[in-house]
Amino acid sequence: MADTVDTPTAILASAAVALRDRTFDDISYRSLGDAVGVSERTVYRQFPTRSHLLEGLAGWIEATEFPLPAFVTIPQFQVAARDRFHAFDAAPAFAFVCARAASISPTGEAEPSFLTRTIEGMLQAANPRLNARDLQRATAALLYFASAQFWARMRTSFDMDASETSDVFDRTVERALAALPAMSPAGG
Amino acid sequence: MPTEPDGAHTSAAELNRTQEAILAAYAELIEELGTDDVSFRLIARRAGVGERTVFRNYQTRVDLLLATAAWIERTVFAREESRSIFDMPLAIREAMERYDRRPELAHVVAETTMRGVSGSAPSPRREHLDAMLRMEVPSLADIERRAIVAELAHIDSAATWVALRRELHMNRRDIADAAAWAAEAVLDPIRGRVG
Repeated sequence: MADTVDTPTAILASAAVALRDRTFDDISYRSLGDAVGVSERTVYRQFPTRSHLLEGLAGWIEATEFPLPAFVTIPQFQVAARDRFHAFDAAPAFAFVCARAASISPTGEAEPSFLTRTIEGMLQAANPRLNARDLQRATAALLYFASAQFWARMRTSFDMDASETSDVFDRTVERALAALPAMSPAGG
Repeated sequence: MPTEPDGAHTSAAELNRTQEAILAAYAELIEELGTDDVSFRLIARRAGVGERTVFRNYQTRVDLLLATAAWIERTVFAREESRSIFDMPLAIREAMERYDRRPELAHVVAETTMRGVSGSAPSPRREHLDAMLRMEVPSLADIERRAIVAELAHIDSAATWVALRRELHMNRRDIADAAAWAAEAVLDPIRGRVG
């Protein structure tokens, strides 16, 4: 590890490597300490509970392995989501960690994510006079269906691959937009 | 919690009284302590059984967690089955309100469905949704029916409640509203195609 990488990042990078042959639950704090060259206590100080570690790991994975391509319009958003579903398919162990981290009791109070804001902005740009209630409904739907949780459910419950999952996602986007007043899919 | 002898639950194996006691105890402790990181010893004590009994029934923590999540869905979050696919938005609204009242348990259910382990079936109501659609909208093409089932199954889950609370910081009313709205949107194309 380069000297410029800080300890928590080194720990998360090491945990990501460990996911290649172990489940998250089988990754011990001790092994992480050994891999990074710090004590087990240091790992606990950075990640006081396994929930902290799970959230940290998911954040690291999202940033390094699954960055969502930039988008402005709704069609661009759909392409970005499709690309990311394929990225999930290519690294399922990582994707399940993200899905799981998104489902746990949060360890802290987080700001609305960049993705949430971007989707909201995208919808507002497509229909500047959309009311707040419908904006919230549509933002929630688009965000939730673009998520790793959706990918995970489609995979384990419906045996869908990324292409099929993306098709269902596209259909959902169409349905959500159709339920809004005068939305133009090509807006933006 | 009374166990129905004729197996009214739709899940896999029938639980014996010891297992019910263990799962109920674990759920209780998760809610009290706000974490699923509870020792088998404590769970055993709360259930009124020996620690070895817990291990015998659930070899690993993951086994125990999966079984507890299934039990929570069946008991705490039990619901009357909808009779029409068009009642799903209403059922989903009510489910979100239920999850909101027991947030720790909702997180347990949500997290276990996202582990990608073969033992966790994220969509137990899938068959029922499919059956209702076949009955009410028989003209529906397979691909469209599969999509509607997938979308409703995704919305109708504890993970929905968690996501909307975590990511958008929505309150109970808004979560119920958004989830019901999404379900209505999914059903819009088929409202006039029954029979």
